[in-house]
Amino acid sequence: MHYPWWYVPHLTAPMLIALVAVVHVLVSHYAVGGGLFLAVETSFAYRKQNRDYLAYLRRHARFFVLLTVVFGAITGVGIWWTIGLASPLATELLIRTFVFAWAMEWVFFVIEVTSAFIFLYYWDRLPQRTHATIGWIYGLAAWISLVLITGITSFMLNPGDWPNNRNFWVGFLNPQFVPQVIARTGGALLLTSLYVYLHASLALKDAKLRELISRRSVRPSRLGAVLIFVGAGLFLLNVPESASRVAQSAAVLNIFIALTLAMTLIVFFGIELGPGRHPRWVSPGFAGLLLLVGLGAVATSEFVREAIRKPYVVYNVVLGNQISPGEMPGLRQSGFLAGGTWTGAFLADEYPELIDSGRLATSRLAGLPREDRIALGKTLFLYHCNDCHAASQGYSAVGPLVQGRSARMIEEMVLDFEATHFYMPPWAGTPEEAGLLAEYLAEIAPSPPNGMRLGGRDKETD
Amino acid sequence: MDLHPLIDSAHTAPLPAPLWFIQLFKVLGFTLHMVPMNLWLVGIVVAMLLRAVGGRHGVVFSRRLMRQMPILVALGINFGIVPLLFVQLAYYQFFYPATILMAWFWMAIVVMLIPAYYGVYIYVFGLRDDDPAALTPARRLVGWGSAVLFIAISFLFVNGFSLMGHVKVWSLVWENHRMAGAALGTGLNMYDVQILPRWLLMFGLALGTTAAWVVVDTAWFARGQSDAYRHWAGRFAAKLAILGAFWFAAAGSWYVFGTWSDGLRETMFAWPTLVLTVVTALAPGLSVLLLLLLTRREITRPAAAVIGAAQLGSLAVNAISRQVVQDIRVGGFLDPARRTPEVQWSPLLAFLALFVLGALVILWMVVQVVKATKTTQS
Repeated sequence: MHYPWWYVPHLTAPMLIALVAVVHVLVSHYAVGGGLFLAVETSFAYRKQNRDYLAYLRRHARFFVLLTVVFGAITGVGIWWTIGLASPLATELLIRTFVFAWAMEWVFFVIEVTSAFIFLYYWDRLPQRTHATIGWIYGLAAWISLVLITGITSFMLNPGDWPNNRNFWVGFLNPQFVPQVIARTGGALLLTSLYVYLHASLALKDAKLRELISRRSVRPSRLGAVLIFVGAGLFLLNVPESASRVAQSAAVLNIFIALTLAMTLIVFFGIELGPGRHPRWVSPGFAGLLLLVGLGAVATSEFVREAIRKPYVVYNVVLGNQISPGEMPGLRQSGFLAGGTWTGAFLADEYPELIDSGRLATSRLAGLPREDRIALGKTLFLYHCNDCHAASQGYSAVGPLVQGRSARMIEEMVLDFEATHFYMPPWAGTPEEAGLLAEYLAEIAPSPPNGMRLGGRDKETD
Repeated sequence: MDLHPLIDSAHTAPLPAPLWFIQLFKVLGFTLHMVPMNLWLVGIVVAMLLRAVGGRHGVVFSRRLMRQMPILVALGINFGIVPLLFVQLAYYQFFYPATILMAWFWMAIVVMLIPAYYGVYIYVFGLRDDDPAALTPARRLVGWGSAVLFIAISFLFVNGFSLMGHVKVWSLVWENHRMAGAALGTGLNMYDVQILPRWLLMFGLALGTTAAWVVVDTAWFARGQSDAYRHWAGRFAAKLAILGAFWFAAAGSWYVFGTWSDGLRETMFAWPTLVLTVVTALAPGLSVLLLLLLTRREITRPAAAVIGAAQLGSLAVNAISRQVVQDIRVGGFLDPARRTPEVQWSPLLAFLALFVLGALVILWMVVQVVKATKTTQS
């Protein structure tokens, strides 16, 4: 309500966050696990003076830097970009609350970048012990940056007692913090093994060396699997009740949860059967398939984690449509259109006759021509609903969802969201504005599909 | 349209740190960001041109600079996080609306940055000592592509930050790029006469930074190069620096005298801000003067350190001036200084402690590199 809403056709602006975030997470977890992998394995290879393995690790470090320092870093910035554009109120709150956590994370980013380049470019030029130490500096810095950002992202799902005392540490060390750090650390280790298998299978011809890598990488992936299960268990114990209920009530989330579980198990068993017991199985096809399944598991789990927050972006603090729950009574009084900074300016610009002393003159709405009522309904839809719904076509399009309902029925539903749709933001306008929204939604709702015979009337003969 | 309604003056919250602290890190971060950013903005074009028509020594410098470029880009992106973080903290009422109005172009920065950065790597992979033919025409084209993308990115950045400070332009952009009151995100700040001079101003600074880098690189990192190369580097740096100073003077004059409002000019030319304005205007010229004087005979390490520090100072003064101008512009709508801070002491101190610790860790790593380089050379 304080910012202009960005209309993204078909997809909705917040889905851009999801797209960028998922792509980033697939690389950023490798940036953490891969750093630890390189630190452990380089130390091991130096200890054993295994030159072939060191040569491979050098190649892997190059691939790692190219992927994480370029793509990983830029997509990380991309998340920041998109959250500011699609969810400005929540971003503003998060930055104000956790600016120093982000600033600390930046310190570790600079350490990461510096150590990664030195580790790669000064290979064979630094004393072995120093080189391995720099690898460890990278690995630890990357893991600490994971811990720091998890404090912020986990806060969004369950801020604990923060809304009552607004204390940085209470928000940062929220009930979801430890579970998500454990699960993400596990995910980073497991995913890294999959990246390593694929890279080794493509880059190495030496079967003996591939076997060594297969065996070496099984251990962290096993540890990762344990951490994922422990973290996921604690995660489930600490989600708000609304999150569990959202997961139960949405069919797509049921499917995604099942997919996450299934794909995670496939990866576990794939690693045990493949690299764990039959290292020679690690061919490009097998490793590529495992990595794809692993990436799928991460992507679906991230989607579920984001979706179960509904109707909030930050639980109990910021709603999906960029309104704080505390602002709701005021908006219901002044009117949603007049109460918002940009909707109010739009109203003053296009319909000045509807504003009276800064409030929406609801009595004058009835006198508007139909096309104007529908146009205002569209404004209400964009600012109140478009964060989760496309209009008539696209992501979770609302038109097909209200098909068959009259404007009156839609209006009643909108006014009663709190009781019937707890996972949607409550209506934040006047009853008259709900009528405008309902008229617009009824307008864009498609007619019943042709050709259906449901035992009643035949649509085509209606 | 009345402009004030587009800024929600009631929507303010206490800052987690004093404003001076936030502005200090914003300016510090932007200054650090400008060094590598200047080098990719102008340096890649210079490197591409030198590769094509730069002669023997020009090609050597082109190779040197492009080989450093992957690290410079990484550092530039990282240093850029700091000012962006603190600008969102203190100026969120301005930053978010401005970027949302031009959302697709703002997103395009990230989209263009990926191929721009990978393009640098693709070019650099062609710079092989054992195989000069590895730098194929396709790789050179990719190098030029990166240069163009970085320049385009800089234009979008200037556009966004200029729009942020020009609340009066918001309604124009919004009215022309909206649907039912929602922003389409397709607006560019083309209504603002300051865009072009402001953008060009950065090229002037970037030429100066690239010139200073030629000197610093020659003195500190190019010890294996011949005396002839070192002489060439001194002369080339001087030419670049002079071009940069004239460019800066021209764009700066246009910016200050052709586009500033009377009110802004009065404030910036009144005591004590006048000192800052004058120093900002003269700093690039002083850097050039130092460069010309100290590299007349040969490029020495102390001279390079002084020239590098002078250019860094020039960038820092410029960053401070930008901050002052930004405060004057947004202050007419909403003054961040009037927000009372509720300082988050323990996180702030934790950050400062980690900042120092991080600097020490980085210093330790750099010392190891220097030691290793010395050992290799001996």
